[in-house]
Amino acid sequence: MDPALLLEPTILAQILIQGLVRGAMYALMASGLSLIFGIMGVKNFSHGEMFMIGVYVMFFVTVVIGAPFPLGIAAAAVVLFFVGIVIERALIEPLRRRAGRDWLLDAFVLTIGIMVVLQNLALIVFGSRRRGITELIDGHLSIGENIVVSYERLMIVGVAAVVGVALFIFVRYSYAGKAMRATSQDPEAAQTLGIDISRVYTYAFGIGAALAGLAGALLISIFPAYPTVGFHPIIKSIAAVILGGLGNVQGAVAAGLLLGLIEGYTAFFMSAGWQSVMTAVLVILILIFKPAGLFSRRVERP
Amino acid sequence: MALEVKGIVAGYTKEVPILNGVDLTAEDGLVTVILGPNGAGKSTLLKTIYGYLRPVQGTVRHNGTELVRLKPKDMLHEGIAYLIQGHSIFPRMSVEENLELGAWIFRGQKPRIDEALERVYKDFPRLKEKRRLAAGVLSGGEQRMLEIARLTMTRPRTLLLDEPSVGLMPRLVDEVYEQIAHLKEEGYTLLIVDQNVKKSIQIADYVYVLELGRNTRQGPKAEFEQRLESIIREWL
Repeated sequence: MDPALLLEPTILAQILIQGLVRGAMYALMASGLSLIFGIMGVKNFSHGEMFMIGVYVMFFVTVVIGAPFPLGIAAAAVVLFFVGIVIERALIEPLRRRAGRDWLLDAFVLTIGIMVVLQNLALIVFGSRRRGITELIDGHLSIGENIVVSYERLMIVGVAAVVGVALFIFVRYSYAGKAMRATSQDPEAAQTLGIDISRVYTYAFGIGAALAGLAGALLISIFPAYPTVGFHPIIKSIAAVILGGLGNVQGAVAAGLLLGLIEGYTAFFMSAGWQSVMTAVLVILILIFKPAGLFSRRVERP
Repeated sequence: MALEVKGIVAGYTKEVPILNGVDLTAEDGLVTVILGPNGAGKSTLLKTIYGYLRPVQGTVRHNGTELVRLKPKDMLHEGIAYLIQGHSIFPRMSVEENLELGAWIFRGQKPRIDEALERVYKDFPRLKEKRRLAAGVLSGGEQRMLEIARLTMTRPRTLLLDEPSVGLMPRLVDEVYEQIAHLKEEGYTLLIVDQNVKKSIQIADYVYVLELGRNTRQGPKAEFEQRLESIIREWL
């Protein structure tokens, strides 16, 4: 590789956009995963399958039914919200109700089970064929002579940004968002104030699943629907959650974007095979030197 | 009669009840203190009253309403607030957000919440000064103050306090008991469990002694102040 490329602004800008698209997906996935972990303490290993269902819903709505693609994105978010609620109510809640300190471990194993079941269900129902859409939106934007960005990529980054801001405002300022934060910080105290923590958990899981579904729908042209499509997104979003600090939703978003950018540059300047190595190295370094995450800060007194 | 507990049998498993028939009344506007050795079931009693545990037998009535079938989330609607043992602030939320959550049952009624905030800030000016800070950076005494202030956001009638002075240094213990005395002046009915027998008996109007899940003795404060030492020696 020519080292001069490192300083070529158009190439850097081009990769920046690629990295942002990737990063937007990781950020959406990771924010949902982090939200669920932060509030319930559950590591949701079936999060990738929420992504997978999202892609199938998108395919169904836009290709099978032939509806316009924004409808597909909205449908994926809504369907996954309810899928999340049903999973929480029907499977996780009974574990929690049975109480005992072990429920978190039980829930962790349960989500692995959900992952396996959903993957195989998809295989039986839809087969292993990839079903995708080559392009949601035609055309591209040219900036200067050498920077070319497809409208679709801009749309992906734009939607992710809007959803991210909306999520932030919701968690920060709405009554439900405050109840969620309170429940994550001290569930027992939240309960004494009249907050129905069981409902908070259910909604948190639904919102987390909806974010994963949304990510899947948005990225259908890059990740077509097939049963194990969720594998790559879940691995990367787990990395982002660790980098951002467990349960820190804003941290996960920032780390997701960062990861996307790092991968974009790595793939270009080294080779595509190195990007996963870089992610793993980064995670290991963070776990050694800053285990509470890149953005950790202490507000509690010891 | 504010809070009446009758014949409560309750525990974490059906086979081993912690409470074996507790009868107790916390009269309107008075401070009722529950004393007892470790493991007597004092905290369990408060948890049962607040709906965390469904008793096997017995009734809990508050202002004539039966509470036994209700859940913790219903209790503030019934006019009962509960200070759990240990820390209960939300450390990464601001002081004001903590207080607002104290009025969670008024959610969606901003004027009512603002009114409650204003009233509480008048009673606790120090919290008003620090309202934008994360609650976690407050000192131990201020955190306790915030917890007590938060209890009063919805103006409940009855407050259950579980070990309000535990883990605080002596100077702060005095401060907390001043605040509790102030709550009594404000007309709240208080039911307190505390290891700090001396301090809690000072502000008590009526005292119950709980031993092995049963109330064994009871009476107005005056009776207990004299016999206090012999009672405590028995537990040791």
